[in-house]
Amino acid sequence: MKQAKQLVMVTTLLMMVFGLAFSFLTVQTVSAAESKNLIYDEANLLSEQEKSELNGLANEYGAERQTDFIIFTSNNEEHKNEELLTEDFYDERAPGYDKAHGNTVILTLDMYNRKMYLAGFYKGEEYIDNGRAVKITAKIAPDVTDGNYRLAFEKYLDLSYEYMGIKPGVNPDNILFKTWFQLAASLAIGGIVVGVMAYRSGGRVTVNRATYEDSGSSSVIDRQDRYIRTTVTKQKIERNNNNGGGGGGGGGTTRGGHSHSGSSRSF
Amino acid sequence: MPVIEYKCPNCGSGMVFDSTTGSLSCPSCGRQDNIEQIPDPLKKQVFTENEVKQYHCNSCGADIVTEPETSATTCSFCGAAVVLSDRLTGDLAPVKVIPFSISKEQAKQAFKKWCRNGLLTPSGFMSADRIQNITGMYVPFWLYELHNKIEVHGRGTKVRTYTQGDYHYTETQHFDIYRKIRLNYVNLPIDASEKMKDELMDKLEPFPYNELKEFKTPYLAGYIAEKYSYTDEELYPRAKEKTRSYIDSYIASTVSGYNSVSYTDKQIDTTLKNADYVLLPVWMVYYDFNRSQYTFAMNGQTGKVVGKPPISKAKVAGWFAGVSAVSLLSLKLVSWMMGGGFL
Repeated sequence: MKQAKQLVMVTTLLMMVFGLAFSFLTVQTVSAAESKNLIYDEANLLSEQEKSELNGLANEYGAERQTDFIIFTSNNEEHKNEELLTEDFYDERAPGYDKAHGNTVILTLDMYNRKMYLAGFYKGEEYIDNGRAVKITAKIAPDVTDGNYRLAFEKYLDLSYEYMGIKPGVNPDNILFKTWFQLAASLAIGGIVVGVMAYRSGGRVTVNRATYEDSGSSSVIDRQDRYIRTTVTKQKIERNNNNGGGGGGGGGTTRGGHSHSGSSRSF
Repeated sequence: MPVIEYKCPNCGSGMVFDSTTGSLSCPSCGRQDNIEQIPDPLKKQVFTENEVKQYHCNSCGADIVTEPETSATTCSFCGAAVVLSDRLTGDLAPVKVIPFSISKEQAKQAFKKWCRNGLLTPSGFMSADRIQNITGMYVPFWLYELHNKIEVHGRGTKVRTYTQGDYHYTETQHFDIYRKIRLNYVNLPIDASEKMKDELMDKLEPFPYNELKEFKTPYLAGYIAEKYSYTDEELYPRAKEKTRSYIDSYIASTVSGYNSVSYTDKQIDTTLKNADYVLLPVWMVYYDFNRSQYTFAMNGQTGKVVGKPPISKAKVAGWFAGVSAVSLLSLKLVSWMMGGGFL
């Protein structure tokens, strides 16, 4: 009877741990009630099915973060620069989760210049600041270069969603924010604590080197610390020269007067 | 007369050592005798070794059946406390003894309390109601006095790093280190009984040496005592081994201020100054649980308990789950306070 009670207690606790973990792992699926179009694939990089899948994801994330996550691909017939292209897109289409010209994050793929531009407006500007925008573009650049657009866009949505859940100004890639790390660390702590408890259950050695030392007659009789030589090694500091295509942070203001953050990167 | 018994001069009952008053006391009439003033019969007698093979109880005349190491016990027929004197004389005479300060009843209570504190022990064990046997035993120890002369040569480095222009510089200063140390250890105990597990006895330490008394047989009355199975010379390597880590950490404490130290030469010259044969008080607790027997030892002066209790798998799983859940929650909280999402 007692055994059974204990077993129930233990299983509940274990379930709590894993339940907690999984509830953190799986993003709650919000029903995409009013799904608006957030994918502007004007360069035709995606199939219809890919488009609708990405759109579903973007709507779901957008509802949670109160921000439109937009994907805009263009052949850029007017040969504008990628930043201007993004700014004009924002001015003309007036996207926004809360209102026209509202909270928006736009990823622009400029197929003419082979450049991408990630911009954040309003809440998007606050959370996806220049630094974070650089991080996101750097992470998706290899996939864009390889032509894995579907994968790159999904990563962009995931990362923007994740970063917008973290207070502005904080490094979003801090390992403490990663659920896998939190889970692994807590299991490790549990294991260590129980291990120490089991180890110590049999009693510990409570004598140390001083216990039997006759301090009156023990001492250092002679000591010498003789300097011999000095060696110096030097190492060149690696300046971050933005490997592979390069990218730069920097926002601006659209011609319509909307301030934004941004990062540009070629692919 | 190789068997010594202490009869109360008043009423003739067998007297035993009383751990609370520290005197030889009579359980029947309450007479208390100061042990330091009783003439020790051992001092007057000289035995040749192995002279006596059989012991008879002075009270009832029955054969006293003992193991060859036992030097004090109780008669298995009448319960009289007897001391086998030929096993305590000559080379086998202890120099000093620390008497018990914890009585059997106190030992039982202390053991029960200790069991309740076991966080991983099964709850059936924690009640401690199946103590099969609890025996007060004087365990033979050698107390060594070791004098060490140590000479150490080594290399030490001090590292400084700085940045200048486009380079990181690492500047390492090398030093030649020499230390000459005199390091003496006194009253280093090594258990000389074959039956007692070394790791169990090592954990029982420290014994309060200010309680060391000149050996007198009445201290053994009512307890079991053993004679040593190993001589001081046989255990000398173990004593040196035991001080080895103490010496290393002493050396390390004299070498400070370096980023790294490596020893090229370490000479430790140990001399055995003295080894005293002493009897130290240990309560042995035998405990039955789930058809297996567990043995615990308790320091008869400090009440420290050692020994491996059984471990409950359910409690281990419970603690593991509990600690993990709490850690996860606090990590989540920390990350949330730092600005990360809670989910």
